[in-house]
Amino acid sequence: MMAETRMTTMIPKDRIGVLVGPKGSVKATIERKLAVAIEVDSESGAVDVGLRAEAPDPSNTLRARDMVQAIGRGFSPERAFSLFNEDNTLGIIDLHEFFGKNESEIRRVDGRIIGREGKTRRIIEEFTGTLISVSGHTVSMIGTFDGVSTAKDALEKLISGRQHGTVYKFLRKRRAQTKKEKAIGLWEGQPVAPKKS
Amino acid sequence: MAQKAATLAAPPAAPAAAKAVDHWGIAHIYSSFNNTMVHITDLTGAETISRSAGGQHVKADRLQGTPYAAMQAAAAAAKVAKDKGITSLHIRVRAPGGHGARTPGPGAQAAIRMLARQGFRIGRIEDVTPVPHDGTRRPGGRRGRRV
Repeated sequence: MMAETRMTTMIPKDRIGVLVGPKGSVKATIERKLAVAIEVDSESGAVDVGLRAEAPDPSNTLRARDMVQAIGRGFSPERAFSLFNEDNTLGIIDLHEFFGKNESEIRRVDGRIIGREGKTRRIIEEFTGTLISVSGHTVSMIGTFDGVSTAKDALEKLISGRQHGTVYKFLRKRRAQTKKEKAIGLWEGQPVAPKKS
Repeated sequence: MAQKAATLAAPPAAPAAAKAVDHWGIAHIYSSFNNTMVHITDLTGAETISRSAGGQHVKADRLQGTPYAAMQAAAAAAKVAKDKGITSLHIRVRAPGGHGARTPGPGAQAAIRMLARQGFRIGRIEDVTPVPHDGTRRPGGRRGRRV
């Protein structure tokens, strides 16, 4: 049966070139690995993701859309490709939500999140095992569900004006806690896909 | 019902006819960052066949929205739907929408994958996130969210 599954997203125009890649290689890789068809409208920045009929897994459509969005939000293709791993998810924080249309505030907070020579961003990435991209008015993360939600908490603290030291302390505490929980609760809530049928 | 009719009417044609019948349903998947709900209905959408949510399968609040909980929910809903004779599913994915998140949470993919893995034929996947045509105002006020 021809399953007509399509999803449309918008990405910034200056990221279209990255999504397509040199000689279309990035787009081709996504299309091949996820069995989708990607159509890019370079006039408007609209990207149409359609599932090909022979696709083994219909949830690939969502995955491909996430990947397109990740590239649109400033990730390099190599980093966005970590979404091929089924355990990883994409999280996006929109700074407009916190500061409205105040561009200068958004630029200031971008700087706070990145830190001097990327120090803060690197620390958050290392503690949570995520990849973080700060691009204009959005901050996006790729990682496991736990990692992304911890990173989100930390970033929201930074955005709301906590000092960097406080946030580092929070990250350290959270990591110790998850380590302990993992040791205690190996039998429950471990995201291992139970294969039935 | 179709099976019964087939056996009554023409025995030789029965197996082929029974094989060809597809029983379609719709899986409504609501996926926010905090939870995932899987609700399988008939094609009209008015009649519930089965439903399950991530929160029914994990103990802690913060695990409700995890892909793992979504998988469990999808598996539970799928089991009941299968027992009731559904063989194929259209899927409608929904994020909170409105002035909230527009993209489905991490549970949506896991739920869809699980439904496919349970042996359902998957028809269309549709995004039915409600989009405001200028609805209510986002919380936070003019100066944004302050903590």
